[in-house]
Amino acid sequence: MGISLIVHVGLVSVTLGTGLITAIYRYLAYKNNDIYLETFARRAFRLLAVTELFSGVWGTVITVVMAGFFTGLFAMFANVLFTPIVIALIGIMIRIPAIAAFWYTWGRIDPFRHSILGFVMALSGFMIPLGFRALMSDITVPTAIGSFLDNRPFGAFDAYFSSLYWNLYLHTVLAVISVGGFMVVSIMALDGDAKGVKIAAPYAFIPLMLQFVIGPLYLLQLHFEAPYVFNALVRVDQLLQGSGGLFTPAFAVKVISALALLWIGTKIYSDAKKGVINPYAKYGGFLAIFVAVAGEIVNSGSRYPYMVVLDSGGKRIEEYFNYYINIGDVFPAVVVILLFLVLSLVVFTVAAYYALIRKFVA
Amino acid sequence: MQAILNLSALGVYMHGVFVSITLGLPLAMISFLYLYMKTGDETYMKATKLATVVLSINFALGAITGTLVEFGLLTVWPGTLLVVASTALAPLALELIAFTMEVALLILFIVTLGRVSAGKSIGILAAYWAFALFSGILITAVNSWQQAPWGVGPIAKALYPYMPEYGPLAMDAQKLVALKIIALASGESLQAILQGAGVAETIGIVLNDPFIILKSPYAWVSIAHNLLAAIIVGASIALLGWAYRYYATGNPYYIKLLAAIIVPLLALSLVQPTIVGHEMAVQVVKYNPTKWALIEGAEKTKYSPIKALLAYGDPNHPIYGLDHYAKQCEEYKVTVREVALSVGVDEKMLRDLGSKLGLQLDGRLDAVLNTQVRDLCLADLEKARERMDKVHYAYYLKIGSAVTGVIATVALAAMLVRIPVLSPIVSFAESIIYRLFSFVNRRSLVLLLAALIAFGFATTSVLGWYVREVGRKPWTVYGLVYPEEVVSVVDYATSPAFVAFAAFLILAINLSGVAALVFVASRADEISESVKKIIETIRSGAE
Repeated sequence: MGISLIVHVGLVSVTLGTGLITAIYRYLAYKNNDIYLETFARRAFRLLAVTELFSGVWGTVITVVMAGFFTGLFAMFANVLFTPIVIALIGIMIRIPAIAAFWYTWGRIDPFRHSILGFVMALSGFMIPLGFRALMSDITVPTAIGSFLDNRPFGAFDAYFSSLYWNLYLHTVLAVISVGGFMVVSIMALDGDAKGVKIAAPYAFIPLMLQFVIGPLYLLQLHFEAPYVFNALVRVDQLLQGSGGLFTPAFAVKVISALALLWIGTKIYSDAKKGVINPYAKYGGFLAIFVAVAGEIVNSGSRYPYMVVLDSGGKRIEEYFNYYINIGDVFPAVVVILLFLVLSLVVFTVAAYYALIRKFVA
Repeated sequence: MQAILNLSALGVYMHGVFVSITLGLPLAMISFLYLYMKTGDETYMKATKLATVVLSINFALGAITGTLVEFGLLTVWPGTLLVVASTALAPLALELIAFTMEVALLILFIVTLGRVSAGKSIGILAAYWAFALFSGILITAVNSWQQAPWGVGPIAKALYPYMPEYGPLAMDAQKLVALKIIALASGESLQAILQGAGVAETIGIVLNDPFIILKSPYAWVSIAHNLLAAIIVGASIALLGWAYRYYATGNPYYIKLLAAIIVPLLALSLVQPTIVGHEMAVQVVKYNPTKWALIEGAEKTKYSPIKALLAYGDPNHPIYGLDHYAKQCEEYKVTVREVALSVGVDEKMLRDLGSKLGLQLDGRLDAVLNTQVRDLCLADLEKARERMDKVHYAYYLKIGSAVTGVIATVALAAMLVRIPVLSPIVSFAESIIYRLFSFVNRRSLVLLLAALIAFGFATTSVLGWYVREVGRKPWTVYGLVYPEEVVSVVDYATSPAFVAFAAFLILAINLSGVAALVFVASRADEISESVKKIIETIRSGAE
């Protein structure tokens, strides 16, 4: 589940961010009657088009793994967090047809309507984490799940009354815009398009700067509301004593790589304003994905060994694990599956290389 | 309950449309690419490129509707999670291979088409197709387990004396029977039990052979039957698309494309009813006694030498009606308690397990244990009987539409490709038709036959699934689990307002998806121009 979550988060960060940038520049192209901006929007959209389906597939992988291997957890989510799941599903249902319609109607319908379609496409993407992030937040600081575990009644929207949720959602939104921005910067830099880099750079840099405000606030909130998670991230002393702080090294890597990204982002941004492509611009996108993935690892991993974190500890992972079969019996199949998942990543990377770098389009 | 069942059926059907095209279109595309490789005729490459656009949009729609169906089934019917975690785990986990590889290879095919040799494109497309079929194999295997729960051995027979045994006993009969009784006695759905922390560990292993689902003969026949049907339907829809283009333009270029599709389609449509369909019927007769009675409209046992010969290999064998099974129920004078004891489950064990799961059994346990199995058996037969007319007529309508499809395929094949004996006969029939109906010409006749093929086979497929799914009712897992036992505990998930909203969403997405496919497919030249423009824009932007 960890691998699938990491791949999924890495890829969706690209698609959600580039979707927003595409929609904005498609609209600005129409408003200013600027052919270059339209081309820019198309090139950002190409990144989304190549990545979207494959990223969605990894969402399905997470679902199957969760339902099959963490059956109790899924059964609980399907009850307690039914509403957030439905919200995310509606987002998916709108998002993918909107992408297809946006692609096909480009140049075929009037630009204003096409721009509106672009915003539907972009904003529906943000509905997906609006739903699914409630699952992550509610197992870190249980609200609806807390009521459920205490045998108290809970409401359909209770997960949204968690203050951690909104911080996590904001953290996510800024992250995906920044990753999308950095990826567009990288693609423009690879094309040698300084103007494109200049346009995309603020989308990479500004949300990243805001993350350095939101991130510490999120951490502070964890300190008060989920001390176990907070300790797992920052208590180096506990790590040294072997009593906790398991994710302090991973958190350190994440913070250092985020700082490195900020440094690169600053260079890219300041050079871009002068019309120069910074040599690091080509690699910023990949580093941004790494930071997003590292963030997800520390965010989800820091609950270990609990699946649901409670004040006094939590519900351990094995309490939701599938004991209905002897997992050892399916272990060889799991290994084969993992190998094929890796192979699919290789095939996708080859396809993305041909589509984005070599510019093969059928 | 019926509304939510209908909603699930709607979602699955809509997904089925796109799945059929996903499985059928590559057949046509491989034929085109092969002919392009052999002849170098650009006609075939142009057609492949259009089909690629259609396939990619269709695949996206299939993925969305698949996500909707997957989430829909698991969130609205979360009791099925027990199946997902046991018998269905291996196939669903293996399906991940199929799905991820399918997408990765499709993207690779799209971006490399026309840039690598036709042979390589065939290789990538064939690999994509193989994984798409693999996905179909695994999903059909899971569905087949609901039809004939292979590995439960005599458990269903313990409740319904007319049921067969379903393979070896690979499941823990004690735990299954105990869970069923506890659910009934506590009045809780399976979700309410499964969602508790530590429940899986408390219940423990329920399945000893995680690959049992793939060892079912019913599953393998279903796989062959359903996948072949999907390929035939998908290829028929592609055929109709190009037949319409031929009708609209009269361009002989389309005849070449139609000929490339009709030959493999003819072969498959002859194999399907004669070999695979027949075997499917034999499996239904063997493992779904009530479904077979519904299909035959047999309220009472009857004799039909031809059908009996086909079904049992013996013309004198009776076709058992529901009366026969009712008689067996009447004679089955045992209580639930005795059935439970026969697999080693006693009241103490039930109370202990109930207590560990945190469920209140109280006085209801006695009531459940003292229930006469005969009453349950008869009540379920009655529930099945209520669906008899629908299943019976749907089945024979299905046979009629399949025959129409096959005849039209043979006729169109004989028109487009030289087939000894048959082509001269069809040619003669053609001349008579033109003489009798002056408004009919070759273009309209080709379109008519293609339409008969597509609608004939699509109707067959839709009705076939209807018979398969409705025919297994009143159970979700044949002979074992009712829909009420697996439905969500979330009140509003089954409310009319939510069902209406979900139905609207499903219809809106699917109908606009179908409209988009037709729109794209009917604008071949515009598409080529559009693709060219996009490429030019991208390249000019890059420079």
